[in-house]
Amino acid sequence: MINKKIIENVLYAALSTGGDFAEIFVEDKYTTNMKMIGGILEDSISGRDYGVGIRIFNGFNSIYAYTNDSTEENLIKVAKEAALAINLDKKNIVLNLMKNDVKNNNKIITLPRSVEKAKKIEIMKNGYLSAKNYDEVISQVTVSYLDEEQNVLIANSEGLMAEDKRVRTRMAIQSVATKSGEMQIGFSAPGASMGFEFYENMDIEEHGREASRIAKTMIDAEFCPSGKMPVVIHNGFGGVLFHEACGHGLEATSVAKNTSVFSNKLNEKVASSVVTAIDDGTIPNEWGTTNIDDEGTPTRENLLIENGILKGYLVDKLNGRRMDYEPTGSSRRQSYKLPPTSRMNNTYIANGKSTFEEIISNTESGLFAKKLGGGSVNPATGDFNFAVMEGYLIENGKITKPVRGATLIGNGTEVLDKIDMVGNNLKLAQGMCGSVSGLVPVNVGQPTIRVKNLTVGGRKGDE
Amino acid sequence: MEYNSIIEKIFESGKDSLEEMEVFIENGKEIEIDVFEGELNKYNIAESGGLSLRGISNGKMGYSYTEKIDESSIDLIINDVIENSKYIDSPDKEEIFSGSSKYGEVELYNEDLSNVSLEKKIDFVKALEKEALSLDERVVSVSGCSYGEVEQHRILRNTKGVDLEEKKNIAYCYISVVVKYNEDIKTGSSYIISNDFSDYDYKSLAEEAVEEGLSMLDAKSIESGNYPIIFRNDVFANVLETFVPIFSAENVQKGLSLLKDRIDSEIASPILTLSDDPFIKNGVASRAFDDEGMASKFKKVIDKGTLKTYFHNWKTAKKDGVSSTGNGYRGSYKSSLSIAPTNLYVESGKDSFEDLIKSIDHGLLIIDVQGLHSGANAVSGDYSLSAYGYEIEGGKIKRPVNQITIAGNFYDTLKNVEKVGNDLKFVLPGIGGQVGSPSVKIKSLSVSGE
Repeated sequence: MINKKIIENVLYAALSTGGDFAEIFVEDKYTTNMKMIGGILEDSISGRDYGVGIRIFNGFNSIYAYTNDSTEENLIKVAKEAALAINLDKKNIVLNLMKNDVKNNNKIITLPRSVEKAKKIEIMKNGYLSAKNYDEVISQVTVSYLDEEQNVLIANSEGLMAEDKRVRTRMAIQSVATKSGEMQIGFSAPGASMGFEFYENMDIEEHGREASRIAKTMIDAEFCPSGKMPVVIHNGFGGVLFHEACGHGLEATSVAKNTSVFSNKLNEKVASSVVTAIDDGTIPNEWGTTNIDDEGTPTRENLLIENGILKGYLVDKLNGRRMDYEPTGSSRRQSYKLPPTSRMNNTYIANGKSTFEEIISNTESGLFAKKLGGGSVNPATGDFNFAVMEGYLIENGKITKPVRGATLIGNGTEVLDKIDMVGNNLKLAQGMCGSVSGLVPVNVGQPTIRVKNLTVGGRKGDE
Repeated sequence: MEYNSIIEKIFESGKDSLEEMEVFIENGKEIEIDVFEGELNKYNIAESGGLSLRGISNGKMGYSYTEKIDESSIDLIINDVIENSKYIDSPDKEEIFSGSSKYGEVELYNEDLSNVSLEKKIDFVKALEKEALSLDERVVSVSGCSYGEVEQHRILRNTKGVDLEEKKNIAYCYISVVVKYNEDIKTGSSYIISNDFSDYDYKSLAEEAVEEGLSMLDAKSIESGNYPIIFRNDVFANVLETFVPIFSAENVQKGLSLLKDRIDSEIASPILTLSDDPFIKNGVASRAFDDEGMASKFKKVIDKGTLKTYFHNWKTAKKDGVSSTGNGYRGSYKSSLSIAPTNLYVESGKDSFEDLIKSIDHGLLIIDVQGLHSGANAVSGDYSLSAYGYEIEGGKIKRPVNQITIAGNFYDTLKNVEKVGNDLKFVLPGIGGQVGSPSVKIKSLSVSGE
C-alpha cells in the first residue's frame, strides 16, 4: 500500500522529538451499501475510504494524527506536526521493519467487489418477499445490504509490519407490523467475515420470516409487567447481557485508569461459579474475527472469567503500559480516523450443563427474554440496561403469553453473581459495538441462562 | 486544498454518460485534547475530507464517494455512479436541484477561536481536571476530561448552477468524574459546546459534574408505580432526539411513522411548540443551505400542540405536493440524501425549573436516561429506559433514586406535557441536527423499581 522506505521515514519523523514508540496505520476500504424499502431499491452507494493514521507514544501519553493525503511529503509533515506535542531528546531507535506472517482465520472465496449488484439485489428481494408475505399484519419491510473490503497495513517502531484484508458481509431485515394504530418491529441481521459465499450456505428467507414472526408476535402482545423477577435469557443475542454488564468493564480503556468496577480484581471471584466467559478473535469467519488487531498483534482466545473467577482483561499497547500487562490482540478502531483501544471481538459465556427445558421448567414464574435488543453500560458504576425485543411470561414452569416493551436493568457485578443456571446451547449473534474508538463489528453469545432476579421495566403496573 | 480543477474535470469526464451531476465535498480540521492526572494524555489532530459524486443516468440517481481525491479516482467514481443508478427502481424520482433564488445569512465561524493558543486550551483542560479533583475528597478520579475543536467546510456544486460553500467551527469541552463514599460509586458529568472560548469556565463545569455525582450517592430504587415526572431539559432533549425520525416525511411516506395524515391535527399538549431554526448564531446545526442546495428555512413543526409540517427534502416534498422545508441532509459524503432537522427545540414556557418541582406532590425528577439507542423504538413510539434522578415530595427534592426504568409511548408523552419550563438547553449533537428543550413535566409515567 505504501512502500517500506516511506514508512520508515514517516516513523523517524514521528520519533524526532523524543517519542518512544511510533505507529502507522494505512487503510484502504471499499464499501457498498444498499437499502430496499417495500421491495423497491431506494439507495445504492459505494465508495472508497482511504487514509493514514500516525500514533506516537511518550510513556503513558499518546498523540494521534490522520490524513487522507498519503504522499511521502504530506505524511512526514503530519508526523512532524504531531511530534511537536513532545519536547524531549530524540531517543536512539533504529528501525528494522520485518514483514510479519499473518495467520488467516477468515478464508474468503468470493470478494464482494467481484459480484454484480444485480445478484446482491436479488438476495435482498428474496429477504423482502419472505418477510412481507409472512402475514398480512406486516405493513412494511426494510432490507439493508452491506459489504466491505478493508485492507490495512500496520507498521511500528518495534519493527512490526503487517497487512490484513478484512471482508465483511451483512444483511439486515426489519419488519413492521401495524394493527389498530400501533406499530411493532422485528429484526434479523445475519453477518459474517465472509465474501459473497455467505449467502450460498444460508437461507435469507428464514431471516425474513424470523423478523416478521417477531413483529407479528409483539403487535399482539400485552405490556410487560414491572418489578423484580427471575429472568431467563435465551441464547444468541442474549449474550449482549454479558457484553454490557461485564465485557466493557474488562476493557483496558477503563481498567487502566482504575475507573472500572473490575479494576484490581484479577483472580478474585466476580461471578457465580457457573459462569465462564471468553473473548475469541480467531473463530473462523465470525463477524468479530480479524487475523490481527489494529495494532498488528495477532488475535487470540482470551479467557476472561473461569468458573466465576476473573482471569483476564482485554488490553491494547498503550493501556498495557499503564497496567504492565501484555497486549491481548484486542486493540480495535472503526477506521484510520480514530486511535485504536481495547475492544471486544467475539465474546461469549461458555456452555454449562443445564438443558433449555430444565431452565424453563425450574422457573416458577418470571420473564423469558427470547430476543434482546441493544443496551449500554456505565463502566464506572457497572449500571447497565438493555431492551427486550421479544419476551414471554413464564408461569408455572411454562412459557406462556408474549409481552412487549420490557427493559432489563441492573448492575454488572451483581448480575454476574445472580446467574444461577447456564444452558448447553451456546449460540453467537452479530452486533455493532460503539465506544471510544468508534463502531466495530462484534459477536455476542451465550447459551440460555437464568438470572435469579433482575429489575424488569415494563408499562404494566405490578402484578 | 483547491477543488475547482478536480470538480471541472469530473463534470467534463462525466458529461457524456451522466445527464446531471453534483459534487458534494466536506473537509475539515480537528483537534482533541485529553488530560489525565495532570498530563496531556491524548492529543489528536486531523485534516481530512472526502468527495461524493451523485449523478443521473437514464433518469435515475446513483451515488459514489472517495477519500482519495485525485485524478486517479475520477473514472472510478463516475463508473460507480452509473452502476449504482442502474438498479434503483423507486418511482419517486430524485433530482438535482437548480438552487433557491435567495439564501438567508447565518454566522457560523468564529475567527477568534483559532487565535486562542493551543497552550491556553491545554491549560484550561488541566485546570478543569485539577479543580474537579480538589472540590471534594469523595472525587476519586476523573474518567474523562477533554476539549475538542472541529472546523468544517462544505462545498456543493452541480451542473444545474448551484455553487455554494459554507465554513463553520465548533468547540466543546467535557468532563466526567467518579465519586465514591464507602463502597458506593457514582458518576457525574458536564459539558459545554460553544465556539466562543470566553464562554468556557472550568470552575462551573467542574462544580456541575462533581455536584451531580455527589448528589447521587446513596441512591436507591423506588416502589414501582405511576408517578408524575419532570424530565430535566437535557434529558427531554435526548428523548426528543430519539424520536425525531417520526417527523421525517420519508418515514411518513414509507409507513414508518404514526404521524401519517395528522397534519393540522392536535398531536401534542397545547402548551408545546416545536421549532426548527437554522439561523441561530453559531448554532451547531445552523446552515444557510441544505445538502441539496435548498435555502434553509425557519419552521414550526408543532405549533401549540398542532402538527404543522413534516421535515422534507425535495423528493418527499414533490411527492406530497408541498415545497421542501430545506431539511435535505447527508450524514457525510458517504451517505445518500435523507432528511434531518437543523436546530430543533421545544420553545420555552413560563415556569421556572423550581416552579416545576413545586408543582409535584409526589413524583420524580429525571436527570439522566440510558439506553436510548435500544430501549426506545422510533417506529412504535414505545420507550422503556433505565433512569436516575430524585424523588420529589411536597414540592421539594427529597432523595436520589436509581435502578429504575421509566416507560411510556412518545406519542402519548407529547400529549401529556403539563408544564414547560423556561430553561431551554441544547444537547451534544447526534446524527443530523441539534436538539434542545427546556425541562418539562409529564402528567404520569410508569416507573419500575422495587
